Formats: sequence, structure tokens, C-alpha cells
Amino acid sequence: MKQNEFRDVVFGEIYRIATEDDRVMVLTADMGATELDKFKESFKERYINVGIAEQSGMSIAAGLALGGKIVFIYGIIPFITLRCFEQIKVNLCSMKLPVTIIGIGAGFAYSVDGPTHHAIEDIAIMRALPEMTIFNPSDPVSLKHITKIAYATPGPKYIRLAKGSYPSIYEAEHDFSLGLAVQRKGDDVTIISTGTLVHKALVVSDELAKRSVSSSVVDLYRIKPINDRLLLRIIEGSKLVVTLEDHSIIGGIGSVISEVLADNYTSVPLKRIGINDQYSFRYGNTEWLHFLHGLDVNNVTKVICEKLREL
Amino acid sequence: MTELSLDRNRYLEAKALWVRRKTLEMAVVANAGHLGGAFSCTDILVALYYGGVLRFDPHNPHWDGRDRFILSKGHAGLALYPILADLGFFPISELESFASKIGINPDINNIPGVEVNTGSLGQGFGVGAGLSLSGKIDRKDFCTVVLLGDGECYEGSVWETALFAAHHKLKLVAIIDYNGLSATDFTKNIIRQEPFENKWKAFGWNTVSINGHSFAEILRVLKDIHDPKSNKPLAVVAYTIKGKGVSFMENKISWHHGVPRGDELEVARRELTS
Repeated sequence: MKQNEFRDVVFGEIYRIATEDDRVMVLTADMGATELDKFKESFKERYINVGIAEQSGMSIAAGLALGGKIVFIYGIIPFITLRCFEQIKVNLCSMKLPVTIIGIGAGFAYSVDGPTHHAIEDIAIMRALPEMTIFNPSDPVSLKHITKIAYATPGPKYIRLAKGSYPSIYEAEHDFSLGLAVQRKGDDVTIISTGTLVHKALVVSDELAKRSVSSSVVDLYRIKPINDRLLLRIIEGSKLVVTLEDHSIIGGIGSVISEVLADNYTSVPLKRIGINDQYSFRYGNTEWLHFLHGLDVNNVTKVICEKLREL
Repeated sequence: MTELSLDRNRYLEAKALWVRRKTLEMAVVANAGHLGGAFSCTDILVALYYGGVLRFDPHNPHWDGRDRFILSKGHAGLALYPILADLGFFPISELESFASKIGINPDINNIPGVEVNTGSLGQGFGVGAGLSLSGKIDRKDFCTVVLLGDGECYEGSVWETALFAAHHKLKLVAIIDYNGLSATDFTKNIIRQEPFENKWKAFGWNTVSINGHSFAEILRVLKDIHDPKSNKPLAVVAYTIKGKGVSFMENKISWHHGVPRGDELEVARRELTS
């Protein structure tokens, strides 16, 4: 197991929870992880591979939950959200069942697999579902806590996972009940990011500091329900609010923040940075795709500086 | 009739007539409903609930030992509600709240005795498989029975679930209300489903085809569901007549939706009177 590999962090935590609660089950749409293998070996009856069949898999998860189980179901994001979207709507959300969807491959994480595997619409569609709670953790510490929170929270949840390993940016005992955290405090700009793009936002913040721009960085690790009161307090006084995400510009956290601002009659310039309304048929690693779509540190820094000059 | 006494059969027929009449009146009051598909499966529902097949306790709808029945073809909910009310899950007077408190499709929030929200075809079957698996893991002896439509079996997820249930040797019964009609045409004209029973067999299920309007046949094939002789799930292909019980509705595509008015309503009422 690679240190801090996201999927192993989440299944390691689920394993620990499952040792204390025999209602906990894991369903997988034929996806693996080292820590999931451990779960499978230890809890044979509570591990179900539903096959590459996300639609029935989601309904089966709901049936297990109706039967008293606490279910985690795991798959690649487009397939475990979009493919079975209506099963999530009817079977999980309309019946408020305790099933946590673990989707792997946020944004361009499955870079060379192309648009079939890219996850750039999931936040937009999942947040339209009543009852759905959405988490997008940025580091292993937040992921571990969020797994515990998901287990203890009633109703359906969606955890959006990056692929691979990322360093910790939180202290082990950070409180993740608020839904967002200020990673860095500054005066001029508030950069709100989510998932592993928070790491990029921190580097952008460093770059801005070199240009004498002081910035806050907010990790929006819970996208729904949004903690709008805390968010509004944090952005108060900022000259510019920027959202940075590995998701379509339509319906992601840029849209979430614009809704919060509009609904609260808050007037502050907002720049949404995300993936423009298009599929990416160019191939390379995730960083390369970020570069092609303007999500690299240099471009984000440049866009923010330009926006500040326009004000 | 081999195993069903004449009295028992008369009792079930009288119940079915009453259920169809109630279903009709609910649809008339609300000016909504899917009478064709409700009438095609009424006899199956009556056999399940009044024929001693399902275990349930109307005064304790969540009794742990109950069988789990799921109306996966949720649009036939109008045939289920009178039964649940008559059995005491809720007062019969509440049937009058159809289209206000009670909708067309089964709803766990508002209708005691309903196990699963259905209405989106194919999904109740998958939920039934999950429920059945939970019972297997917890060594409970309840049985899960799911009623599907034949048109519903166009949904791919039905066959995903069929594979899953056979692989996991689930104590699960799928009854398919095979009335041969979907919403806009006969199924044989839309996409051919035959050989239908063999498809279930090929997916690893025990299968049987019956007349879905014969209480004797329905009860004969369901009598062992709590103590199955085999560890395969059971698919019952119940050949039925859409709109059964009202002459001008029978086997007519136009009565998938629709509520009779005027002379037609009087004919329907007359035919559904004991």
C-alpha cells in the first residue's frame, strides 16, 4: 500500500469501522484497493462485488440498507454516479437510505482514459438530488474523518475521491464538522477550492504572495449542504472571490458559490475557474490536462492577477 | 381445481372483484391511474395477501419476520392500496385521499405496508434482491417477493439483478405480470420477449409459467416459497389479460392509462359488481 493512497485511506477507515459495527457492508462495481482486499478477507459476507453493473448495484445497496445494513458502494465516478443516477435518486435519496457512494477519479484523474472516465459533471448532478450530502476531501486526514462522518450521518452521501496519494494538510484531530476550513488567511483574494485542487490553490497563494497579493485559501470539503453563513463571514472584505475546481464550470463549486452570493444579496466580484464546457480528447497525465484546460498554477495565478487589475 | 376448495376460490374471487371495483372508483375520483395494468395483476395480489402466501402483520407493518413484497411495477399501486386498507394497514376511508395523500406509485412515507418507493421500472426488483441478501446474511427466514410487469423487463437492470440473484442463491420470487402489452403497443410488436420463461431459466432461475388469473395455479406455485426445495430464486411467468374484469378494457392498449366516463363507467361498474 502506498502511503496516503486515497482509496486505501478510505477503505482502511471503513475496515476499522466494520470491526466495531457488523452492519457495515462494502459493495464494489468490480473495483479494488489493497485495503479493500483486507476487508474482503476479514468480512467475507459483508463484501459484495456486484460486477460491472452499477444500476442494479445501487438498488441492491438500497435493499441492504432497508434491511438494516450501513452500506458503502464503490466505483469509478462517471459509472457510480451518472450511469446509475436514477437509482440513486429513487432508491437512495427518495427513501433517505444510509448508503455512501465512494466515487474514485475526480476531474481528470483518469487522464489517459479520456472523457468516458473523466468526472467533470458529477458535482453538478449529485448536488441536484434532495437528501444527498457531498464530500470532496483534499488530503488523507480529511478523508479519514469524512469517512467516519459519512458512516455516522443518516441518509445518502457521496464521497468524491481523487486517485493516488496526496500529502496531509491538516492536523490529525482537526474538526471537520463545519464543512469548510480556512487553510490560509489573507486580505485581497479568497480562493475557494475543493478536493485535491486545494493543494494547487495553496501554491497559487504562494505565487500571489510573491506578487504582493494576499490571499485566503478555503477548502470546501463538504459541497452539500453548504455552510453558507461561515462562508460569507470568511469572504467578507475580500476584493475578489475565486473558485478553483477540477469540474465543469457549469454546476460545480463555482455555481455553488455564485448561488450563495446571489441568495444573500452579497455583491463581490467572483471569478470561476474550472473546466470549460467541453470534453477533453487530449491525452497525457492529469497535470498536463490541467495545463491544457487552464488549471495549472501559472495560468490560475495570471488570471487572478488580471482580475484584480480589472477591479 | 385440485388444491383449492370451491369456497376458498369463491372468497378470493369476491375479494378480487371488490379490489377491482375499489381501484376503479379511486381512479374515477382522482381522474388518474393505470387501470389496465392494475387489473391484470389484481388476482396475483389477492392471492399473495388473502391466499396465505405472504406473512405480514397489519398492526405492526415493520414486524421483522414479515415477508417483503415489492410492487416493482409501481404504476399498478391502485390495485395494492385497497388490499392494504382492507387488511387493516390503514383505514379504508383513507383510500378516498387518493391523488392527495396517496399517489399512483407506492410510497413508504405515506402508505403503511409499502416496503419500497417504486414507480421507476426495474428498480424495485434490484432493491428486492438487496433486501433478500440482507435476510440471508442475518439468517432471517423471510421471503422477498417482487411483482414486475412484462414491459418492465425491457429494463436492462432487471437482467443485472436476475444474474445477481441467481449467483447469490437468494430467497427471492419474481412474479412477472405478463399481459403482453406495454404502454403503446403489444410487446411482441415493440421488441419480442419470447422465449420469455427460458430467458429466466438461462439466467439461473427456477421458472414456471401459469395462468395469472387462476388462484389455484398461483397458490400452487407459491406454496413452498418459505421452504424452497431448491436454492435457486423462482421466476413465475403469470400470463394475464390487461384490463381483466372490464370487458371493453381487456387486452386493449388504449386502457393502459385512462379513466372511463359516462356509459363506459356504468358498464365497468356493472361488471365489477358482485
